[in-house]
Amino acid sequence: MNDVTATVLVGVFGISGSLLMLFSALAMFRVRDALSRINVFSPATGLGMPLIVAAAYVYVLHTEGFAWITLLMAVGAFVCLIIVSSVASNTLSRSSVLSGQPVHRKTSPNRLAHPPAGVVDVDPDAPAAAEETGES
Amino acid sequence: MMRLIHGISYVGYIAWAIVTGSVTIVARQFRFSRPYAEPMIVEVPLRAATDLEITLFASSITITPGTLVTAIAAGTSTAPPVFFVHALFEDSEQTALEGLYDMESRLLAMTRGRAPVSSPPAHVSSTPIAEAGPERGES
Repeated sequence: MNDVTATVLVGVFGISGSLLMLFSALAMFRVRDALSRINVFSPATGLGMPLIVAAAYVYVLHTEGFAWITLLMAVGAFVCLIIVSSVASNTLSRSSVLSGQPVHRKTSPNRLAHPPAGVVDVDPDAPAAAEETGES
Repeated sequence: MMRLIHGISYVGYIAWAIVTGSVTIVARQFRFSRPYAEPMIVEVPLRAATDLEITLFASSITITPGTLVTAIAAGTSTAPPVFFVHALFEDSEQTALEGLYDMESRLLAMTRGRAPVSSPPAHVSSTPIAEAGPERGES
């Protein structure tokens, strides 16, 4: 790989990854509740950080030459970043809902609060005594 | 063999969804006249049945920028498991559900070797049982 190709690739991956981090952080100021903020940050963790890993790998490949161990580390980091950020976002959103964080008032429809029209919520696991003495 | 082909196409589909979703989140910041996002939480009854399918589907939804799994309801003997998905940039509940069911069909094609033939489960799943009841009583 010649110098020009390596420099261009490192620049494109590194700068686009950094810009994705920046714009994801700015997007967090444009939305109003915790769930939306977790949501709009996923470009940074799902695409920005893997791009920076790709830039680092191309740089190492150019300066130190090819080695299987560095390729393995890069692929491992790439895959793990995507999986970990997904599972972490799931955990964050679940804990945010379970802790009673309010959702933005313009969230519509909000199926966590209102079931679809025509659906009656019946809890099949509720004990039978609760149905008789339930609020009727 | 078919699973491998479906798996590769699914990985490509998810990668493309990540790129387009990221572009949406960034590009929307430069449209100052309209509101940035229209948040909604939609209810998605699942066709995915096993733990692996449900875990993969939840991770796929969450890694796609613009959609986020907020809660998972366990399935019962009569109702399928349900995701509650927070979506930011969808036009309506219907288009959000169509996109999610498209992703689920591709995922099930990967885990089961072929796409499911059944249509997405309806919200009111008890209707056929209620209709069948009187017929049994008459005979």
